[in-house]
This record gives sequence, structure tokens and C-alpha cells, in this order.
Amino acid sequence: MNNAEPAILADNLAKSYRSTRAVVDVSLRVEVGEAVGVVGANGAGKTTTVEMIAGLRVPDRGWVRVLGLDPRRDRARLRQVLGVQLQQAYLHHALRVTELVDLYRSFYPDPRPTDELLDMVELTEQRRTSFDKLSGGQQQRLSIALAIAGRPRVVILDELTTGLDPKARRRMWNTVEQLRSDGVSVLLVSHTMEEVERLCDRVAVLDGGRVIALDTPAGLVARAGTATLDDAFVALTGRQLEEEPA
Amino acid sequence: MSTLVEARRPGIRSLVTLIGCEAKMVVRDTAGLVVPLCLPLLIMLTSASSASRTTVDNGRTALDLYVLPLVFTMVIAIIGIINMPSFLAYYRRSGILRRLGVTPASPAMVLAAQAIVSVLQALVGITAALVVAFLAFGANPPANLGTALGVVALAMAAMYSTGMIVAAVAPSPNSAVAIGLVAFFILGALGGMFGGRDSLPEPLAEVGGWLPFGAAVEALSAAWAGATVPAAHLIGLGATIVVGAVVAGVLFRWE
Repeated sequence: MNNAEPAILADNLAKSYRSTRAVVDVSLRVEVGEAVGVVGANGAGKTTTVEMIAGLRVPDRGWVRVLGLDPRRDRARLRQVLGVQLQQAYLHHALRVTELVDLYRSFYPDPRPTDELLDMVELTEQRRTSFDKLSGGQQQRLSIALAIAGRPRVVILDELTTGLDPKARRRMWNTVEQLRSDGVSVLLVSHTMEEVERLCDRVAVLDGGRVIALDTPAGLVARAGTATLDDAFVALTGRQLEEEPA
Repeated sequence: MSTLVEARRPGIRSLVTLIGCEAKMVVRDTAGLVVPLCLPLLIMLTSASSASRTTVDNGRTALDLYVLPLVFTMVIAIIGIINMPSFLAYYRRSGILRRLGVTPASPAMVLAAQAIVSVLQALVGITAALVVAFLAFGANPPANLGTALGVVALAMAAMYSTGMIVAAVAPSPNSAVAIGLVAFFILGALGGMFGGRDSLPEPLAEVGGWLPFGAAVEALSAAWAGATVPAAHLIGLGATIVVGAVVAGVLFRWE
């Protein structure tokens, strides 16, 4: 792989669903080893943007490269190096935690060991519990374990800690920091300013399907002339940032 | 742009793991196993006693030539046309296929695992019916075992191909069951499930012999009797496989 290539490069993305323009114009660049947060109010276009980057949706306009790979044309190669945690955990409901982990591990040539993954997301005690018996937070943590099972070089985390209690939230932050220390590039969609401030090098603020600001957390605060990133978001978008219910 | 990432599809180990997971899902869904395994058995039990005493041809009884082919075809059809599509539709509706879509697992791998698990279910159902028929009613083995096995394999492929069309067009698990049931009863009615095809109007009986249910029943019956399987039935089963594969290939979607 050419290390000069960015981890993620999205240019001029646009996507509409019938008459609704979900994404109007999004350009984004995530360098290798960098963590970039994506924040925005509900309906700002965050999830559609990451779904286009992950190859789950075809942009109406614009293009995406992940480590130089086209998500649609180079699907098989991209799936080897990209880990995706979707906003909701969609898994076989009757399978147990270890069965799901072993299934997803089997898709990759050099997966992380099952015990290591369960330890990272603190689900060792639930290893024999079926997916539908897990709490929402545990399901979320399992979803993250599956996203990183194949030792991805780039991970997309959509609503990483939505619905988690503060303790579980901090545990997930530790997991992301561990990934970053391994050199993994991260695109993190979040509703929590504290989260992006702690985990991300830069933050893209989406509003109305456009990137209206992209800077370091400190840079955004300085640009908005506010005391906190929360206030900076409100000043930049004119909206409150509300966490979606779990 | 250049890249050194190798396009490596998950291999046989991954497929075996996926098959194991699909099998566990099926076994843990106990209710889903009752209809395909028990209903045909029940139908056999209601008619086997008298059918086993009626010799028809070549030392074979009505049980061998009519009831068992019908029961085997029902097992295969229920699993292929109703159960498998409803599982796939559930996977699509619940987002499981979407989640798998962001892994190296290919759609073909998921479909292959479902088909293999369905074959295993059908083999369990057929074996259970055979054991009961042999032990309780003195059923005879097929005069041409190789042909019978070949027809069973062909019938499975044809029914699963039909089921893949159902899975491809059904927007929800409930609609998959509804479409599958309608398809099952139409194919079954035209294929002699509610009485012999000779009781149908001639054009319908003719069509039923080409469609997968009727073709499978007739071909199995011929194999049990040791007769040559009419080409029309084999062509009907083969054509169903091709049409199902093409239609499902075009229409099947992850979401």
C-alpha cells in the first residue's frame, strides 16, 4: 500500500433519497493514523456520509477512496482493511457471543484472537450469552469487537457510545485509544463533544448535508469564539447537539 | 492509485463456520423445524397403512411409488420454498445481510451456507420418513437407487432455486412466508399433492408435470419403479434451476 495515500478521501459527495437531499456536498480527508470525528444534529447527513464511505451506498455525485481503494470497484480488497461498526448492531439473534466472534473472525486471514477481542470490549463473562439476551450496551460493544476482528487499518465507528452508560463509554474510549496507538485510522460519528474532543485529532461539523467546519477541536473553539466545543457547535450550526435515545 | 492489498475471499474454513452458525440458528428455531419435518411424516402416516398393501408395479406398492415420492418432495419443497426464503428475508429485514455486507463475506457465501443447511434439513426429513416407512410399513427401496438419489439432488436444487426467487422478491419475512406458501400450494396442487395429477384438467396436468413439484414426484416414482425417468421431468427440474439462479442473481439484494 502506498503510505502517501490518505486513509479516507471523500470528494464532493452528494446523496438524495427521493426528494430528500441527505448529503449535499461533503469532502473529507483522513490521514493514515489520524482520527477524525463527524458531528452534526440529527438529519445532518452523518450516517449517509459514512455509509457512502463504507460502500453501503452509491453516491449520486462525487467519489470515495479508502487507502486508495474504491469502495464499490475494489470491494473485496477494501473489506480486508476496513472495519465498520454500524449505528445499530444487526446480528444473528440466536447465536452466542463467542459464536458470533468466531464467525466474523473467520472472514479474515489474520484475525485478533477471540479472547483478546472479548477482553477489549469486556464481554468475557458474557461469552456464552446469546445476542438477544445482551443489554443494548453489550450488543454495541460486541458490534465494535466484530468491527475490529480483522485487524483493520481503517475503522468507521457510527455512534460508538450512543446508549452506553458513562462507565461503558469510557471503556470504549480506551478501546479506540488502543486502536489509535496501533496506528489504525478512525472515522468516528458522534453526538458527544466530550468524545470527539478526547479521541479525535480533527472534527468535521456537518449541517444540512454539508461540511460547514473542519478543524481541530481547539481550532473550532477558537473559530467560534466560545469556551467549549459544545458551545462552538451551537455557534457554528445554530442547533443543539442532541444525543439519540438508546 | 496503486495498492498492495490482496483480494482474499474467505475460504472453506469460513464457509464451514458460517454453515455451523446457520445450522445452530435453524436448530434453535424449533418451531421452524416442525412443519417441514413433521407435516410430511404425518401425511405419510395417514395413508401408508393402506398404500403399503396395494401392489402396483415391479413388486412396488402404492406407498413406494406414490406416497414416498410425494412425502420426500413435500419435505424438500417446504424447506426450499418456504423456510429458506423466510430466513433470508429475515436476515435482510433485520440488517444481518447489511452487516455481513461490510465484511469480506460475499453474498454467494451466505446463500451457499443457507442452501447447504437447507439440504441437511431436507436429508434429516427424508431419512426420518424413510426409516418410519421401512420399519413400520415395510416400504421397499427404490429399484434404481442411483437414479433416485440423482432425482432427489435435482429436486433439491430446483426447489432451492425457486426459493431463491422468493427470497429475492419478498420485501419482508412475512411476505416471504406468504409468497412461499402460495408458491408451494400452487406447485403442489399442479404436481399432485391433493390427489393425482390425472384428476386435473389436461392442460394443468401437463403444466404440472414440467413444474418442479410435479416433476420431482413423477421422477422419483419412476426411479422407485425402476422405470426410465421421462425427459420432460428432468428438463423441467433443470430449467427451474437455471431460471431460479438467473432471476435470483439479478434481483437478490442485501437491503
